[in-house]
Amino acid sequence: MSDGMLTEPVERILADTVTPAVIEAAERRELPAQVLATLDENGVFDLLVPEAAGGVGATMAEAVAVMRAFGAAAAPGPLLETMLGRALLAEAGLEPGRGPLALAFANDPGALWRVPWGGLVERIVVVGDAGVGVAVRAEAHVTAGAGPCGEPRDDIVSSRPVALHPIGPGAFERAALLRSGQIMGAIGWVFERSADYANERQQFGKEIGKFQAVQQMLAVLADNYLAGSGITEAAAEAGEARLIAAARSRLGEASDRAIEVGHQVHGALGFSREYALNYRTRRLMSWRDEYGGVGFWRARLARMFAGLSREAVWPAVSGVSG
Amino acid sequence: MTLRLHLDAPRLTPRAEALRADVRAFVAEERAAGRLPPPEKIGMGFSPETSKRIGARGWIGLTWPKTYGGGERSALERYVMNEELLAASVPVGAHWAADRQSGPVMLKFGGEDLKTHFLPRIAAGECYFCIGMSEPGSGSDLASLRTRADKVAGGWRINGRKIWTTNAHRAHYTIALVRTSQIEGARHAGLSQLIVDLKSPGLTITPIISMAGEHDFNEVLYEDVFVPDERMIGPEGNGWNQVSAELAYERSGPERWLSSFRLIAELIAVLGTDARESSLEALGGLIAQLLSLRQLSLSVAGMIEAGVSPNVEAAIVKDLGTKFEQESVRVVRDIVAAEKLLDEGKAPKLRALLAHAEQWAPAFTIRGGTNEILRGVIARGIGLR
Repeated sequence: MSDGMLTEPVERILADTVTPAVIEAAERRELPAQVLATLDENGVFDLLVPEAAGGVGATMAEAVAVMRAFGAAAAPGPLLETMLGRALLAEAGLEPGRGPLALAFANDPGALWRVPWGGLVERIVVVGDAGVGVAVRAEAHVTAGAGPCGEPRDDIVSSRPVALHPIGPGAFERAALLRSGQIMGAIGWVFERSADYANERQQFGKEIGKFQAVQQMLAVLADNYLAGSGITEAAAEAGEARLIAAARSRLGEASDRAIEVGHQVHGALGFSREYALNYRTRRLMSWRDEYGGVGFWRARLARMFAGLSREAVWPAVSGVSG
Repeated sequence: MTLRLHLDAPRLTPRAEALRADVRAFVAEERAAGRLPPPEKIGMGFSPETSKRIGARGWIGLTWPKTYGGGERSALERYVMNEELLAASVPVGAHWAADRQSGPVMLKFGGEDLKTHFLPRIAAGECYFCIGMSEPGSGSDLASLRTRADKVAGGWRINGRKIWTTNAHRAHYTIALVRTSQIEGARHAGLSQLIVDLKSPGLTITPIISMAGEHDFNEVLYEDVFVPDERMIGPEGNGWNQVSAELAYERSGPERWLSSFRLIAELIAVLGTDARESSLEALGGLIAQLLSLRQLSLSVAGMIEAGVSPNVEAAIVKDLGTKFEQESVRVVRDIVAAEKLLDEGKAPKLRALLAHAEQWAPAFTIRGGTNEILRGVIARGIGLR
């Protein structure tokens, strides 16, 4: 299946349903019901559920391509969380059910911090060392919060223990990789919009994109976008822990550059709530730190290399041992 | 309209991975025989003996037609071979310019006689070239160059001055970009490329010692240097098109992000497993960049293989790669300080390597075209005018 076969219908759905009003409502703690329902009707949240369990059985690369479309559209809601949550429940032999899910990784499944949309969905998929389980919101104490993206990031303390069912390794890496897709999509939007804006906006009698200072900034953003998306696509294709850690590290820097350059090129206009740039840049501010922040992934990547001899470093970089 | 930047990640074929294994076996032999430079300096060593051994394996001109001594292998295989050689610091400097750009430019634009005369000797690792573009008054603004060739019976007579010519004192030929005609208002027209024997009468090579104290660069003075007609590459006046194509070959290869690899590998070897979290974070940032650059460089090789001309993407690799090389020296220095790795006479090799890399670092973002010029290329490529 080519990426386009999955992403084009998703892009059409997003174009129809993700309006500024929907994004703003999501930032006032309203679930984007129509976005979620339309995506669900079209099977998007069952992408990673195996075919045997009634899902689509898509690859991570295909799912990352869909996440990229979500990121470019600044689509709100627990999208990643519902998609991966269902796959993890199915993997554990639990019923994924319908409706949106939240997702949290925790050593103590009773206390979950800064959970995306945790206070607004019925069920929170909890992943701990022993496996996956479900915390029921109605049986938990919710403290509402929000990240820079404005969408809910809630603290959830369960009054009842959450039973965990074993699953294979790599759930956290999959969450991190899917978040990479959204980050890459948002950076791509910021890059393309900023370059177009530089070609439209006139100052001193010419388009600002004709000034070398502006060109140099946008070239650096192009560099970062290409570097971040290249390593993310490689990670999605290979699913290797090394490449996932590298992708999240690299995308962290690329996010910083996209926020900085995107706003600098747009000037005051980009700082207005009405102009769509902030919907992407504020999401980047949240996403770059979720499912492992930049420092976490950098240190994890370094640990894969720590202790190697001089001659062993290159085989580890190239991914070909011997 | 903004260009949609996109690269496809190519898959390396079993044949490419088999070549990687062959190159690693060669590297192991070279290491066992004590022929690899000790890990105290960065940079590309110059060793005619090594180049001949590499040539004997068929690894110079790897992608060229067999008629001219080439291997008829893919650009991706060449990429794999080069990253293996460079990561191990095999001294490939003698044949590097000829393999990367002089040979390809002859192959693409040169006549049959030129190709049969030069390419097999280059592929054998016996004939070395250097690049004659920069002049004292023409660096980033290459088209302003003033070295000229006047038509004389049977050839051209060159007068002028080239500078920063790496290896002119130990190569056999240079390809000089010269003005052969003056067309009013068209400064990119009227330039041509001539292959000049560095032993020609009237040609004087003067060393330029780098700030690191080494002799790699030279000034090359031309005083009535005669070059026969048949040593012109392509038609008269086509030089600008030819060097533009040539410069793209220069930009995206692993040499643009592996210059400091030796230093990073040495740091990892010395650092061990009980470093501070902050040091691990800094090191991980470098490794992430390294992995992402490798991915980009590989993708550009894939585009070259697919027959696409990846000018913008190649410029992006060089801009990112050379900035990374510079930044990695700074990060290694910070980690070395935080972990006190050089205290009490520890790690003398790392100390020497770091001192050498620091002195070379300013050159990374200048050689082969400054990053500011590259960013101009990127800006045009993404639709800014």
